[in-house]
Amino acid sequence: MGSETKGKSYLIVDINNQTTKAVMIECHGEGCIVKGMATAPTTVDSPDLDVTVGIEKAASSLGGKLGRRIWGEGGPSEELSCLCSSSTSGGLYMMVAGLIRRISAESAQRAALGAGALLMDIYSIDDSRPSYKLVDTMRSTKPDMFLLAGGTDGGAESQVLDMAGLIDAADVKPRFGRGYKLPIIYAGNVDVRERVTETLTEDKYATRVVDNVRPLIDRENLGPAREGIYDSYMEHVIVHSPGYEKLIEWVEGDIIPTQAAIGRLLYAYAMERSVNMLAVDIGGATTDVYSVYGGVFNRSLNADIGMTYGISNIMKEAGVHNVMRWIPEEIGEKKVRNIVGNIMILQPDTLTPEEAMVQQAAAREAIRLGLEQHRKIATRLKGVALKRTLADMFDQALEVSILDLMKTQSIICRGKIFDERHTAEDSTLLILDSIQPEGVTEILVDRSSIMPHLGMLLERNREATLQILSDECLHRLGTCIAPKGRAREGQDTMRIQVSTKDSVVSEEIVTFGELKSLPLAAEESVRISVTPSTRFDVGTGKGKELVAEVRGGEKGLIIDARGRPLGVPDDIAVLRAWAESLTMRPEILTA
Amino acid sequence: MSRFVKLEEKASVRKIRRIPTQGDVLVAKGDVVEPETVLARGTVVNPDIREVKVYARLGVDPEQVARHMLKEEGDQVKKDEVIAIARSFFGRFTKVCRSPMEGTIEVFSKRAGRALIRGKPIPVEIRAHIPGRITEIIPDEGAVVETQASIVRGVFGVGGEVHGELAFAVENPGEPLTTEVLSSDQQGRVLVGGSFTTLDAMRKAAKIGVGGIITGGVDQKDLTEFLGEEIGMGVTGGESGVTTLIITEGFGIYPMNQETFRLLKSYEGRKVSIDGTTQIRQRMLRPEVIIPL
Repeated sequence: MGSETKGKSYLIVDINNQTTKAVMIECHGEGCIVKGMATAPTTVDSPDLDVTVGIEKAASSLGGKLGRRIWGEGGPSEELSCLCSSSTSGGLYMMVAGLIRRISAESAQRAALGAGALLMDIYSIDDSRPSYKLVDTMRSTKPDMFLLAGGTDGGAESQVLDMAGLIDAADVKPRFGRGYKLPIIYAGNVDVRERVTETLTEDKYATRVVDNVRPLIDRENLGPAREGIYDSYMEHVIVHSPGYEKLIEWVEGDIIPTQAAIGRLLYAYAMERSVNMLAVDIGGATTDVYSVYGGVFNRSLNADIGMTYGISNIMKEAGVHNVMRWIPEEIGEKKVRNIVGNIMILQPDTLTPEEAMVQQAAAREAIRLGLEQHRKIATRLKGVALKRTLADMFDQALEVSILDLMKTQSIICRGKIFDERHTAEDSTLLILDSIQPEGVTEILVDRSSIMPHLGMLLERNREATLQILSDECLHRLGTCIAPKGRAREGQDTMRIQVSTKDSVVSEEIVTFGELKSLPLAAEESVRISVTPSTRFDVGTGKGKELVAEVRGGEKGLIIDARGRPLGVPDDIAVLRAWAESLTMRPEILTA
Repeated sequence: MSRFVKLEEKASVRKIRRIPTQGDVLVAKGDVVEPETVLARGTVVNPDIREVKVYARLGVDPEQVARHMLKEEGDQVKKDEVIAIARSFFGRFTKVCRSPMEGTIEVFSKRAGRALIRGKPIPVEIRAHIPGRITEIIPDEGAVVETQASIVRGVFGVGGEVHGELAFAVENPGEPLTTEVLSSDQQGRVLVGGSFTTLDAMRKAAKIGVGGIITGGVDQKDLTEFLGEEIGMGVTGGESGVTTLIITEGFGIYPMNQETFRLLKSYEGRKVSIDGTTQIRQRMLRPEVIIPL
């Protein structure tokens, strides 16, 4: 346990557009515990125009629940340490620029997204748009911040200066406040730092120079750019939101974007457990996807795809028929469209079963779109010469994306669509249908919605934070076994043998198309031996046995032999059978 | 489904009316204005911007262009006006670069030998939208209009600001607004329907020139077809060529809330100002019917 937090109590606040959530965490001796949480409406807009009003309400409510005074004279009680993350005003709006779209601009994009930003546009010298169009879009799209990259260290110079000149020519104005300077982070070729700062002059820009995001063509270094973004966010952006000046005085350390706090936490979780992880966060208006593969963190964002405000946009982006293909009832297009439209414009607190069904269907498409976007962001470094073996050539092209579901050990989902109002069956099936995990993958959902808070606590007590995350935040749905490949309905797919230390508890042949769960409690683990048939792969190669130690969950061991890629059936009866299949409990496994 | 509908009877309405730029305010505090009264005028930047490769037209290296330029950044130019000239062989050979349009030289890059020419600024103006009195002047931008009015807020709308006589196309809130009840004498009027309006009715209303439609619901599919595009993020108001539509209950067939219907009915024949502009996410802007008293 970090000595820094011994005997400390934390009031941790996350402020989003609608809600301000305060969480109290106490650290004593052996660890930290969540004492309680409370929410209040966010008050950054009129009539209050002061974010601290909402914080005080949430904190006072929390104090009332806990029966202790946590709000003092005009601020948090002095014996508490206050930490804060924020995504008010829609979050951190950024533009990024680099030299080559697929090289430095892509690295800059990853740095900005990793810092929790909402990306408005990406510019590069090889942009297909003519330079005057770039100037025009820069001018009309007002960001909170600009990240300029380009050139390896000791590499291209004049093009980097051209890009800086283009930004200056566009005279980009910040989103809020006429009287403040646009923060620009320069994370390009170190040799032209001075000349870049001479171009982007102090009278117009708050330029911050950090280490190159792409110092070498085969090396990406995103950390300094992310930290630069956090610092500029704190110094130049957040101070312009109503009430934040007061809030800054209360908090210990920086206020960072909510998505950055979540990203930090997920990264730490994956690294601690040495797993490859994929996480999906579906909000009302946005869908975030985070991943950690081989220790590399990535985040992508679908800014207008969500479960309430953004649900109509899912229909627009995916097409109404792609949404409808997931609905296990006969509902006509007109009705589906009306339901989607009403969820967007009315944001009802409760949904009818029919509305819930449509929302669940839309969620599958939202995640599919989110993963599509993530595959484009989470890529190997481009521009690096690859050594290809003869085997690679026969094995198709090398995958550009590092997202590999077969190599994913852990999937985490969060958002209201996964909260306790939804059954474990619904959540599990939603994840299986949309993400289509391959091989052996544990599936977890965030039921407590305190990930941003834990992300803020992480740096102060990593061990205890991750413990809280595992024990109180993440809810285990189960471990999924899903072979990759396809066959005819009813053909043998795999043989699964489940055993404890002492004996074999279950052995069965699974046929193609089957979907079921074998109960196994979350705290229990068993040894599985999976032998796929010759056309299927569970991570060790076609037809090769996989042995693993796995844990259970609310849905235990989930066996998904519907094939990968998953074919969505035209027959509604099959969808209904899928919806019902996870509620069946054929036999009890006792570990 | 009607929890978002807000009815306000005999309320004070205060409308801030601004042009999206700096310009001239044409009214004074205390003036009485009508919906059509222009409060402020100005110009906004023309989005039409063109790049001219001056170096290519002159046949010189980009770095040499500066010395051939006849115009500077900020200079106004006419269409086909010469902006740069290069003479060689003691003036025997001349090459010129002309402006492709009327506008202003916005950027000239000495390094790239290129110029960006932007079209003439576009005039903009803002009208009062509601009748009332000017209570405040916003220097260079507009004014605040205040009046006493009753207000009906819908849950969703399309189309911009319109004013016209409030007329009823139906007898009761459960009745649909169909093509049968539309006729050419409803041109310019704001029609109240009941439970919903059909695609054909919306098309006929647009053809006739009906000012606006207020109804309980509309099928999202019909509205999508009417607009010609998916609604997406629910930001509306900028559609052109559509009849302003305000729905008070939701998508589908929903009889208009009795209270809403009663309130509107009590003002039948009055001049009303309506606006279908809706922003669901950021500003929670809902469409509204303002009935000046």
